[in-house]
Amino acid sequence: MSRTPNFTGWLAVILHREDSNTDRLERQFGLLGIRATRRWEPLSTWAEADLVLVDADQGWDDLLPPTEGASGKPLVALLGSEAPGRIAWAMEKGASAIIPKPVAASAIFPALVMAVSIHQERRVVADKLRHLEQRVRMRPLVHAAVEKLRAVRGLDEERAYGMLRDYAMQRRLTMEQLAAIVLGGAEPLPEVG
Amino acid sequence: MMDDALKIGILYSATGPYGAMGVDARDGAMLAVEDNVKRTGRVIEPVFYDPHASLQAYLDGAQQMLRSDCRHIVGTITSAARKEVIPLVEKHDGLLWYMCPYEGFEANESVIYLGGCPNQHLIPAFEYLIPRYGARPYLVGANYVWGWEMNRLARELIANAGGEVLGERYLPLEETAVDRIIAEIAERRPSFVLNNLIGPSSYAFLEAMKQLGENDPAFRPQNCPVVSCDLMECELELIEKGSATGQLCAASYFDTLDTHENREFKTRAALRYGRDRRISSVFASAYAAVDLCIAAILSAGSDEPAAVRRAIYGRTWDSLLGPLQIDGRTNHAALPFHLGRISDDNSFDIIASRPALAADPYLTTRGTSMPAKLRVVS
Repeated sequence: MSRTPNFTGWLAVILHREDSNTDRLERQFGLLGIRATRRWEPLSTWAEADLVLVDADQGWDDLLPPTEGASGKPLVALLGSEAPGRIAWAMEKGASAIIPKPVAASAIFPALVMAVSIHQERRVVADKLRHLEQRVRMRPLVHAAVEKLRAVRGLDEERAYGMLRDYAMQRRLTMEQLAAIVLGGAEPLPEVG
Repeated sequence: MMDDALKIGILYSATGPYGAMGVDARDGAMLAVEDNVKRTGRVIEPVFYDPHASLQAYLDGAQQMLRSDCRHIVGTITSAARKEVIPLVEKHDGLLWYMCPYEGFEANESVIYLGGCPNQHLIPAFEYLIPRYGARPYLVGANYVWGWEMNRLARELIANAGGEVLGERYLPLEETAVDRIIAEIAERRPSFVLNNLIGPSSYAFLEAMKQLGENDPAFRPQNCPVVSCDLMECELELIEKGSATGQLCAASYFDTLDTHENREFKTRAALRYGRDRRISSVFASAYAAVDLCIAAILSAGSDEPAAVRRAIYGRTWDSLLGPLQIDGRTNHAALPFHLGRISDDNSFDIIASRPALAADPYLTTRGTSMPAKLRVVS
């Protein structure tokens, strides 16, 4: 079941010169419960907004703050041009939806819903990727810990691995984290059980 | 312009699945024009166009009106037709007066909405139904945006109320084969049925539910009512006599409303259309839309849409739907809520009412959670 999106109390920053497009955006935002500020100068930090709309026809790189890791916010491109370069700029900046200009009232709510949802999805994927990368990086530790258990306890590889896995589960740690502990010798090795 | 004839476009289809509603809307608009001519002495020229349920024809009709200096169009019934006409109305700087209940999630500057959105029909209807019948409904709907979105919202309301939707089925427009749905309802035994079917599908469904109730009293209206948000007086005659008796419907107007204004109105309507004519909510809403449109143009001294809008906001207008206010943010009317129970003589007995509720087309203010303590009004 899809939930009814609710933007009440959100703060949107519109990076665009004032015109009938921004008037229309501000009107629709008002009735969606979104507070909006409009400016045509660089935004120094993403922290100022829950949602950013940018003029992708005229926008330049420094108009938006840099996006490091998951620091960005949902970004909507306001776009009249069909020039591939402008579309590419919007995507490079992380836009996840477009509102075509001239802005139609009916284009706004769908674009916000889509931008926010895609942004959240990207964050989830980025977090997962970071987590997996870390685990891959630490994988040699698992092998080393298995080898240590084999040597110290005289276990075969399968049992040593199983012991490490069970203990990691009990401690609610990843195998990589537990392997680091085992190798560091900070804690006594688990009993065979 | 004020010396010229005041032009109002009236764009309704008298055929198709919504034909009965279209006829009522057109007649209501017509009566409003005639009453206003008598009252104001102004020359008012209604411009009629019947698109015969074709989306392309809605566009053609709107275009003809807008090109002949008719900037105000009262019309469209389906959301599809409204969405088709809006860009044209925006482009030509006109104003569309829309007066049917719809699924919400729209607020266009070029439209004045006199039809309710879900916080004005579906949500109060559920607040009435759930404490009385339970939170395990079955949902049926026409296979397009009205049915889909009303049922999506119903699911959300039910989930938030801790209930469970026992089934959800759709029929194409005009489809009348309802047997499979009825069999499923008989098997799953819901606490009530939300009916978002349209026209002939809806009539066939109500007739089949009547049969089901005759075989099994658990499905009689007093035990498992079928509730609709868009069933009207003008349609009841199209349903086999007595089939829909006892079923429920939400609306902002019923013919049986016992107010001084309504009695007076019905007397006038009877002179024009005969004593037997029952006034439906589309008839009354189209009347109210044309009436407000003319009053606002006269008050603004111009038919220029921006001036007309300014004239409308921040005032209370007398109307057939009661004192009427249009919210300048959403362009939607605050509307009363009535729940009607269909009687043997094809009218609605009003069993619950609420005073005018402000429209919340995007459900931003309260969201979709049921109030902790359900307010019961009867």
